[in-house]
Amino acid sequence: MTILGEFALWMALPISFWGMTMGFVGGRYGRGDLVLSAERSVYVVFGLLLIASLGVIQAFLADQFQYWYVANYSNRELDTYFKIAGLWAGQRGSLLFWAVILAFFSSIAVFQNRRRNREFMPYVVGVLQGILAFFVVVLLFAKVNPFERLGFTPPDGAGLNPQLQNYWMTIHPPTLYFGFTAFSIPFAFAIAALLTGRLDSRWIVVTRRWTLVSWFFLTNGIIFGMRWAYEELGWGGYWFWDPVENASLLPWLSSTAFLHSVMIQENRGMLKIWNMSLVLLTFLLTIFATFLTRSGLIESVHSFAQNTEIAMIFLAFMGSVLAGSVVLILYRLPALRSENQIESFLSREAAFLLNNLVLLGAAFAVLWGTIYPLVSEAITGQAVAVGPPFFNRVNIPIGLVLLALTGIGPVIAWRKASARNLKKNFLLPLLVGAGVVVIFLGLGARDGYALATFGLSAFVLTVIVVEFWKGTRARARIEGEGAFAALLHLVGRNRRRWGGYIVHAGVVMIFTAFAGSAFDREIRKVLNPGESVSVASPFGHTYSLVYEGISSSREPNFDRWVALLSVEKDGKPQGALTTERRFYRVNRQMITEVGIRSTPLEDLYVILADVEDFEGMVTNNPDAQRIVVQVMVNPLVAWIWYGGLIITVGSLIALWPGPEAGPRSRTARQGAAETETDLVEASA
Amino acid sequence: MELIAAVLLVIVTAVFLLQPILAGKAAPLVSPQAEPTEAQFRKRVALQQLRDVEYEYAMGKLGDADYRSLKSRLSAEALAAIRAEKEEEGGIHGDAAAVAEASEAELEREIALLRARISGGPFCSDCGRPNPAGARFCAHCGASLGAPAVSDSSE
Amino acid sequence: MPMKNGRFFVGLGGVALVVSYLVWTGIKDTMVYYLTPTELLAKVESDPHFHEVGVKVSGKVVSGSYSRLQGELLHRFQVHDIEHEQVAFWVEYEGVLPDTFTDDTEVVLEGRYGADGVFRAKTVLTKCGSRYEAAPEELKHPAEIEIRS
Repeated sequence: MTILGEFALWMALPISFWGMTMGFVGGRYGRGDLVLSAERSVYVVFGLLLIASLGVIQAFLADQFQYWYVANYSNRELDTYFKIAGLWAGQRGSLLFWAVILAFFSSIAVFQNRRRNREFMPYVVGVLQGILAFFVVVLLFAKVNPFERLGFTPPDGAGLNPQLQNYWMTIHPPTLYFGFTAFSIPFAFAIAALLTGRLDSRWIVVTRRWTLVSWFFLTNGIIFGMRWAYEELGWGGYWFWDPVENASLLPWLSSTAFLHSVMIQENRGMLKIWNMSLVLLTFLLTIFATFLTRSGLIESVHSFAQNTEIAMIFLAFMGSVLAGSVVLILYRLPALRSENQIESFLSREAAFLLNNLVLLGAAFAVLWGTIYPLVSEAITGQAVAVGPPFFNRVNIPIGLVLLALTGIGPVIAWRKASARNLKKNFLLPLLVGAGVVVIFLGLGARDGYALATFGLSAFVLTVIVVEFWKGTRARARIEGEGAFAALLHLVGRNRRRWGGYIVHAGVVMIFTAFAGSAFDREIRKVLNPGESVSVASPFGHTYSLVYEGISSSREPNFDRWVALLSVEKDGKPQGALTTERRFYRVNRQMITEVGIRSTPLEDLYVILADVEDFEGMVTNNPDAQRIVVQVMVNPLVAWIWYGGLIITVGSLIALWPGPEAGPRSRTARQGAAETETDLVEASA
Repeated sequence: MELIAAVLLVIVTAVFLLQPILAGKAAPLVSPQAEPTEAQFRKRVALQQLRDVEYEYAMGKLGDADYRSLKSRLSAEALAAIRAEKEEEGGIHGDAAAVAEASEAELEREIALLRARISGGPFCSDCGRPNPAGARFCAHCGASLGAPAVSDSSE
Repeated sequence: MPMKNGRFFVGLGGVALVVSYLVWTGIKDTMVYYLTPTELLAKVESDPHFHEVGVKVSGKVVSGSYSRLQGELLHRFQVHDIEHEQVAFWVEYEGVLPDTFTDDTEVVLEGRYGADGVFRAKTVLTKCGSRYEAAPEELKHPAEIEIRS
């Protein structure tokens, strides 16, 4: 199976080039037979890359350490679970994994459009196969072939990095890769639209949905990454402004911008060049994210070892994509002119535009902070470091502006809003926001940014709730429905809009959670069995933890030491909490597994920072059982995960296919009623 | 064993990819299904916006002045889109005045329908047209409307 | 009354300016020098003012130098320059060391180099060429440039 996989990877090379050529040639000369062959080649490449991926997994499962990749990322005792995840644990496998997901999405796009959007498809296939060909070339010729052999067979592998041996590791990277790769489809349609010159709403309609798919996975991927960092890396935080984290944030920011500005194009026929540029930019940023991770140019906790071949080949690819896209846009400039102009600063489109500018501003700040050390060293020769203080300082104010716009956008009217209209809609939310700030001030919170976040969050949530309430009430009155049915129908009829509001609510929850970190408490203490440590929560109560004792055990892949602490909150027992350290024998590495007691209000986060005597503690000598713990109280962290769930629900509502275009009742056939089911959605 | 699989893989792939060219089997280059044209798309968007405006007015989000100005501009846009659609369809030939008249008639129908839906008037079970709230007989064909306020749950 | 495109570009320029200002001052105020121990000692020598400036330093922990004062949470170890092993200084750090910290790792320290010759670190990070690609020596393949020793 593994040899067949290697063969399939090589075979994918000519097939993807075949598909790229046939797509472009067939499209250019109107040859349907060539186009059909190109479309079939997409399925073939997917099949081949799938065989290759299964080959890698098979090599992991069969402990075939003669392969460099397996030898470096696995060992005999590794859980089967993690052996399968080995496919994306390291650079080589993850590139293959990336390619196979891209081929999977490409196949779906081709299948979906067998009878639709036919003018675009030859070029869409051509572009997608071009991207696939690029990744296959990288895999085969940039010293990252996952099937490379060592020339000898070690008795056992080096093992998987213990920090990757975590449940979230099996979920976080694939989700992120799904998000990155799915954006290739909008890019392919954008290029096809530019090539064919069909620049009306058609490509936007197809692209919008795929962008939402990509955005959905990206968002979840980033949140899963935070979860992993929080549980596994044991520093009590979830975001470190690490270059690779930043790299995943960049396409998120630009695709968020696109999701908003695309609405302006749909409704007002404006911003065509802008939207086209955002698609190209987002695609480039997804490739840039891979580049940053794979090239090892910038130091990061995530980066794989430095590899100059990869850096060069990625730079060349990004450069040619950028150059080609810019030329195409310039060539089609006349067809991309706006049909309308912005009428007033007090309008929804102006708010969306501002949101776009601010999102791109954030992206620019993050990008610049990430590459600044490289730039500075190249120019002045002096190495410098740009860290979290920079990113927090720049991005917190930007984030607050975005948060405010989240509340303003939905209420302000398209085209031109009057001052009276604004007053009418904003009075209540503003009062609620101000009220929340006053309450928190009264409770003793003094952090300006946190107060602003809480106030704005309350403002936005009020706006959203009022929207839902007014909409439901209007519908209940008009249709004579009960409140619940009215709400369901309201959301069902314009899924994108109401789903979007739900996503906003999730984003607000996450912002609130971020602000909570301003009130983190922590304490470090040396403990002997029976001794206790107390930590005050910012919510006013006090936790006290009594160290009961420590035990050790030997697991297949590691030794573990588990400290048991009993928790009391204001004197009331809350049960026990364990926190542990593990020694992975094959990797010869010690890692901590933090103990977390999560409540909606706050997390109690306990790190076993040190064990006095790893060998001696089994001898039951009380002195040898001395440990060092770091106890943290992290307020509101759980709201990030809740917010993620809400975002998932909202995105799924927005993504859910509209009802079938066929009318269900006689009256619905009368035209106007049809507008209520989004035709755009049904046809996309 | 794996050698046989590899050979099979190559053969199957070659047949699959070359068959369209050798047997002259072609993928369609234009969509066989009717796709909404640009004019239809614009019409949908304009009507959807009109509906949103009506709704927001009913929700109390829009003041009277805003409502009227938005409404007149959106109507103009919808009218332009409907006219473009009619010209595209070529249903009415030549006479520009006839096209304009037919478009206006259609827009009026659409708006009447929208408004009827918002105001909760019943739909005629015979001709399917909307009627003012509380009507007992259809204003268009005279059929009895039966129980008032028939709501359409498919919306 | 359609808005002139000019006004729109003014708005665009305004946002761009504000963001640029934030980025510019942000970099200026938060950026720290990233030095090797040799560079750090040279800088301090030429300009004693550097004792008060926060810096980032990468070096290697001197084997066997690590100690933790019993019952205290203070870590103490010596760090030497990777290229010039004789250049070394003591580091004190109060906090939790990263999991990958051993007696022999490459570390990245952030903090201040005091006038008493002790580096008081605010953060300690380990730098194993790549954290997720720890390849033991015995697997090293001559043609592999990927494994960092």
